[in-house]
Amino acid sequence: MKKSSITGWKDVFSFTLIQTLKSKAFIVSFIIFVVLSIVSMPVLSMIMNKDSKSEDGTNPIQKVYINDQVAWSNGGFIPVLSQENLSHIKFESLTEDYDTVVNRIEQEENTSVIVNITETESTFQLEFIKASNESVKESHVQTLSEALLEAFDGYRITQLGITHDQLSLIQASVTTSVTVADMNGNAVISEDTSITDSQYWFIYGILFMVLMVNVMASSQIASSVVSDKSSKVLEYLLTSVRPLAIMIGKILAMLAAVLMQFAGIFVCILISNSVTSKVFSPNGENMLTESLPSGIFDNINIVNIILCIAVVLLGMIFYATLAGLAGATVSRIEEASESLTVFTFVNLAGAYIGMGAAGVLMASGTNGFVTFALLFPLSSPFLLPGAMFVGKVSVGLSILSIVLLVIFVILLFKFVARVYETLILHNGTRIGLKELVKISKNV
Amino acid sequence: MSLQVQNLMKKYGDKVVVEDLSFEITKPGVYALLGTNGAGKTTSLRIILGMLAHDGGKVLWNGAPLDPVKANVGYLAEERGLYPKYSLLDQLLYFAKLKNVPKKTAMERIKYWSDRLQVNEYVFPPKTKGKKSKANRADQLSKGNQQKVQLMAALISDPKLIILDEPLSGLDPVNTDLFKSIIREQIAQDKYLIMSSHQMPTIEEFCSDITILNRGKAVLQGNLNEIKKSYGRVNLFVKSDVDIASYIEEFGLRIVNKTPSEYHLKVQNEQQAMDFLAKLIGEKIPVVKFELREPSLHEIFVEKVGDVHEEK
Repeated sequence: MKKSSITGWKDVFSFTLIQTLKSKAFIVSFIIFVVLSIVSMPVLSMIMNKDSKSEDGTNPIQKVYINDQVAWSNGGFIPVLSQENLSHIKFESLTEDYDTVVNRIEQEENTSVIVNITETESTFQLEFIKASNESVKESHVQTLSEALLEAFDGYRITQLGITHDQLSLIQASVTTSVTVADMNGNAVISEDTSITDSQYWFIYGILFMVLMVNVMASSQIASSVVSDKSSKVLEYLLTSVRPLAIMIGKILAMLAAVLMQFAGIFVCILISNSVTSKVFSPNGENMLTESLPSGIFDNINIVNIILCIAVVLLGMIFYATLAGLAGATVSRIEEASESLTVFTFVNLAGAYIGMGAAGVLMASGTNGFVTFALLFPLSSPFLLPGAMFVGKVSVGLSILSIVLLVIFVILLFKFVARVYETLILHNGTRIGLKELVKISKNV
Repeated sequence: MSLQVQNLMKKYGDKVVVEDLSFEITKPGVYALLGTNGAGKTTSLRIILGMLAHDGGKVLWNGAPLDPVKANVGYLAEERGLYPKYSLLDQLLYFAKLKNVPKKTAMERIKYWSDRLQVNEYVFPPKTKGKKSKANRADQLSKGNQQKVQLMAALISDPKLIILDEPLSGLDPVNTDLFKSIIREQIAQDKYLIMSSHQMPTIEEFCSDITILNRGKAVLQGNLNEIKKSYGRVNLFVKSDVDIASYIEEFGLRIVNKTPSEYHLKVQNEQQAMDFLAKLIGEKIPVVKFELREPSLHEIFVEKVGDVHEEK
C-alpha cells in the first residue's frame, strides 16, 4: 500500500465525522441514550433498595402458630430463631380451633401466620397460612420458611437422639479429585482457573458492549459508503482522493462517532452513579462498584489498559473494514442492510465464540477452546478485554493475540485495497463473495 | 502544456469497451468526445481521470502520467452527485479542502461562483430576523441548480484541465447560455477542456478538435474545420417563391430534406451548385436563399456512426 493511496483520509474523516455528529439521527439517538443512562442508576437503586428492604429488613411476621400434626413429635416443635430479622417472632402451639385462628388472622391478626406440619410416607410438609392482604408478603413467608426448614431438620435429628458429633459426621460433604503426578511421582498442583458468576457477567457485559459498537458502527459505515455511491458524489471525490483514503476516512469517522456516543453514555452513567450513591442510596452504596466482581481493580493497570484498548480498537477496525467492504458491494441505499448479511454472520460468530469461551471459563477454567477464543482474531476482541481484567489472561497471551489481530487486519486491508477501486464504481446487482475473490485475482 | 492519451484500452471480461483510443490536446480550448450512448465516452473520461483501471495505454499530462489527485483537474460528472442531506456550503468547502484549496480562497471562490451562477440564496441562505439561518441542502434544490453547484465544485480549485461530461444536459435555455458563457470564460483563460456531449451545435460552437467514438473505437478524429473541409461544400439550401422541383430533377440533385419553402439538396461539387444557380437565374426564377455549405457535425456524426452500424 503506497502512502499516496491514503492521502486525504484526514479530510474525509473530519468531514464525515462532523456531518455525522450534526445529523439529526445521531443527535436524537444520543439524547435518548443519555437520558436512559442518567435515569438508569436511580431506577436500579430503587429496585435494589426495594428488594433489599423486603429481604433484609425486619420481617413483619409477629406470631406463628405451629400446628404440628407429626405423630412422633407430639406437638413438641416450638422453634427459637436466632436470625436478626426473625428473632422477634413468637412461636406457639395451635391450641384453639383451627378455623377460629384462621378467621382471626384474616380479620385482626394480619401479622400472624399458621404453619401446618404434616407427614406422609417419607415426606414432611410445612404449609403456611397467611392473611390475604399484603401485611405479610410472600417473600416474608419465604424467608421464614427457609429458617423454619432448617430448624425443623435440627429438631428431627435431635428427636432421633443423634449427637452433635454424629450429625457432623453424617453431614460432612464428600468430594472427589484426580491428582496428576509428574515424572518424579510428585503431585502436580493445578491452579483453579475458573471464574465466578460475577466475573462471567463482567466479561459478558464487555463483550456485549463491543458487539453493540460493532453493530452500530458497521451499519453506519455501510450506509455511508452506499450513500456516496448512490448519490454519485463518489465520482467527484475520486478526482481528489484515492478510494482507500475514502474508506479509511469513513471507517474511522464512523467508529469515532460511535465511540464518542458510548463515551458520552459511560460518562453519564458515572455521573448518574455518583449522584445516586449520594442522594438516593440510604447507605451510600456505590451501585457500579457493588456490581463489579471483587478484585477487579487489582487487574486494572496501565499495561492491561493499553492492551485492552489495542485489542478493542483493532477488533473494531477489522469489523468496520469488513462493513465498509460490504457497503461497497451494493449500489442502492435500500440494499445496505442486505449487504451486511455476511458481515453480521461473521460478527455474531466471533461474539458467540467469545460467549461460549466465557461459559467454559466459568465451568471448567482455561482450556484449549478458551485459549483458541482468546487468540482467534474474530473472537479475541470480544473475549480478551473482559478476561484480561478478571486476571485470566497473561500479558504474553494478550500480546500474541494482538499480533495475530494485526496480521489479520493487514491481510484484510490488502484484500480490500485490491477490490475496493473496482467495487466503488460498481453499479448494479450486489457483488457476492465469489465475485469479490475473482476481482481480487484479476486486479 | 499538453494532454496526451495514448492507446487506451479497457475490457470488461471479453468485451472491449475502449479500444486503442489516442488523441492529443496541445493548446488551450475544448476537445470534444462524441459518441452514441454506450460508445465508451464516460468510461474513457473515467480512465483519463484515473478512476478506472485500464488494460493498456497511458494518459500523459505535460509528458508525465496524469495523476488527478496530484494534478489539479476539475470534473463535472454525467451523473450529478451531491450529498442530499448536507449543507451546500459545507460540501463545497469539503470539496475545496480535498483539492488543497485554503479555506479563505475557497470562500472567496464560492462567493464568486454563487454570484456568477445565481445560486447565492441557496449557498448562503439569508438570515431571517430573530432566527438562525437554515442551511440549504442539495435535495431542496432543482436539478438545474444542483448542476450549477456541481459546476462550482468542478471549478473551485481553478483547474487547468477540466473534464465536462454532458455539461448542458437537462438545462433550460437560460441556464444553457449561462453555462456556455462560463465555458467561454474558461477557454479565454487558456484552460484545457475535454467535453462529451450529444448536443452537436454546442460542440460546433466550442470545439476545435473532436473524436467520434463508436463501440469504444474512434471512427473519426481530427480538427473539426479540416474534417468539414474534407467533406467539401456539398450541402445546398435553396429557397424560392416558385416551385423548382423540375430544375432539381433536371440537374439530378438528391433531396435531403424539403420544407414548404426550402430545399436541402446534396450536390456533387461546388461547380454543379454554381451551374444550378446560373440555370435558375437564367430562367428568371426568384431565388430568396442560395446557401452552399459543408456538412454539419450532426450530419458527419450520423454518417460515421451510421456507417459503422451498417458495417457491423
